[in-house]
Amino acid sequence: MTELTAPNVVAASTRTDRRRKLLQNLLRGERPYMLYIAFVVLLVVFSLSSPWFLSLDNFLNIGRQTTLVSIIAVGMTFVIIARQIDLSVASTLALSGMAAALAMSQISNSWIVGAVAGLGTGALVGLLNGILTTQLSIPSFLVTLGSLSMARGLAMMVTNTKPVIITNETYFAIFGEGTFLGIPVPIAWTLVAMIVGILLLHYNVFGRRIYAVGGNPTAALYSGINTKWVTTAAFVLTGALAGLAALVLSARSHAARPDVVQGMELDVIAAVILGGCSLFGGRGYILGTLFGSLIIGTLNNGLVLLGVSSPMQLVIKGAIIVAAVAFTKR
Amino acid sequence: MKPILRQTLPLTALIAATAISIAPSARAEVPASCVKGVDLATLGPKSIVGQGPHGEKAASPEVLALSDADAAKIKEKHFKVGISMQTVNLDWAQLQIQGITDTLKKYGVTVTGVASAEYQVDKQIADIENTIQQHPDGIISIPVDFTATAPTYKKIAKAGIKLVLMDSIPTGLKHPEEYASMISADSQGNGQIAAQILASCMPQGGTIGLVNFGVDYFSTNERTKGVREWMQKNRPDIKMKQVDFTDPPKVSQIAGDFLTGNPDIKGLFAVWDQPALDTLSSMRAQSIDIPVTTVDLGLQSAIEIAKGGPLKATGSQRPYDQGVAEAMAMMNALLGKETPGWIGVQSLPVTQSNVLESYKTVFKKEPPPELTDACNKAKPACN
Repeated sequence: MTELTAPNVVAASTRTDRRRKLLQNLLRGERPYMLYIAFVVLLVVFSLSSPWFLSLDNFLNIGRQTTLVSIIAVGMTFVIIARQIDLSVASTLALSGMAAALAMSQISNSWIVGAVAGLGTGALVGLLNGILTTQLSIPSFLVTLGSLSMARGLAMMVTNTKPVIITNETYFAIFGEGTFLGIPVPIAWTLVAMIVGILLLHYNVFGRRIYAVGGNPTAALYSGINTKWVTTAAFVLTGALAGLAALVLSARSHAARPDVVQGMELDVIAAVILGGCSLFGGRGYILGTLFGSLIIGTLNNGLVLLGVSSPMQLVIKGAIIVAAVAFTKR
Repeated sequence: MKPILRQTLPLTALIAATAISIAPSARAEVPASCVKGVDLATLGPKSIVGQGPHGEKAASPEVLALSDADAAKIKEKHFKVGISMQTVNLDWAQLQIQGITDTLKKYGVTVTGVASAEYQVDKQIADIENTIQQHPDGIISIPVDFTATAPTYKKIAKAGIKLVLMDSIPTGLKHPEEYASMISADSQGNGQIAAQILASCMPQGGTIGLVNFGVDYFSTNERTKGVREWMQKNRPDIKMKQVDFTDPPKVSQIAGDFLTGNPDIKGLFAVWDQPALDTLSSMRAQSIDIPVTTVDLGLQSAIEIAKGGPLKATGSQRPYDQGVAEAMAMMNALLGKETPGWIGVQSLPVTQSNVLESYKTVFKKEPPPELTDACNKAKPACN
């Protein structure tokens, strides 16, 4: 009799333990739960403060506005978990956008040509970052600081700093202005990047290797993991996603400019760290990154709706980001 | 909770929240008089309406003409001039530089280099100090910030180098001891042009939004002032709301949120063409179609005007002509002649009906195929 009921007793006690652990995590302020709570608190505060905040149109605004940071932050999550950093993402975006626009204006006015050129350029910059970091053992901070400058310079050089006009309507529809299943395409591309990121990081051997390399590179090496290849792949993924972000931005702007999104790498890194990634590697997850990005985007949006002055917005945004990280830290 | 559920549940909720899409409503209620009701021949001020930073009246670039004897003197001296820009990534900046270099070259003056500060004060300070080290006879520059860079600009006169400024005067610099002349467009006049066309597109009692640069800067302040004053004087029925930006890359987000928070806005003024284009991008994303006017003309803004879309008009500067005036002012100063404290360059109204001609006037070259194609598709309204 006892033997028959034992499994039920064990299952019930396991469920109770899980609930207790969840409650303990919440009270101790551990991610991921606190991150979602912080996001919900922001939503509630802005909803009560501004009559324009709580609407589908405005949520679509926030989604569109966070697109670029969210897409690139997916790749940056891999890089940071692997105990690296990529400062070149904003410059890579600018260069990829120029490559896409130039390919369409010089080679063929086809959206496929533009997409291949944009994604390829981004991936190539990522590959160079990865090779220089792993093969020459130069810290990625310095490598990507250099490529930040070189990519931006190249983007400016190719047209002598002039913007390149894009006229391909299909390109606009696919990357910037259309809808997919009722969702604006920039948000759809963000979701695609997120889902691919989640599958790669959490349900794939590549993701496990990334965690291993970031958690303990020596142990990972002795376990037979090709740490150099894994690290390089993380940079390539980030570069390609910067290329995707470039396609979205240039399709929305109807032009590629060499001077766009300067300094955006800091927003990307902030979103990833806010989302629970450790700057020391080995810890982080994609969904946290998405919510990190959404918290920053919601702050940007809500403060404008409230009519807060531009300098005060910066003060409030910085204070809330620091408070959110402090509140949700382990 | 299983890891897969923990990972996908919030994401699924987010997708579900965004997937319930409702088409946002456009807000186009534009009167038929929009732009068409404005006579280009009488549009805009016929003289410089703005005042200089110190309240001075504008002088005309014509006062800078050089005699043959002056020209010969300049050619003999083999002067050298350095240029320090806030950025070189704008059509406006490129045309200024072209106007300066073409003119100086004609008189045998060498340009030692063009430095670009990328809007950073510390970089401009370094740029100017490095240029002083090259010992040029003159420096032509636009200050990134007129307070923080002022001590560095004062060093130019101390080094015995002539200074000609674009658009703004660093705090405390005295004319003629520390700078020869400041040349700028009639920013207030350009603002008036943008206001007059926007007003023609507004119903009685409507509300307009001003997307304004939130940094204290002479030329941009004057533009917004021009819009406000013209509206208050000629269309007091129109209400005005304003949003400020300090970081140009953030305009798309800020303007989009501004429109969301103020659905009564039926027209927009953006303080220069790139913020206007970024505003168009966020308007397109939200399916908002309201008239927009701005100041400055670039290729992309010219194409948008030619198409006959939301961007209706711009009060254009003449950056090439301004560059010519700056070079002429510098050569006058190098010869030891007295030069006016402020020289104003006349505004130019640009609408769909004169965009091709205006492009030629501003850029001093034929319109590129992208612009002529856009104009041909919008015939006969576009010329």
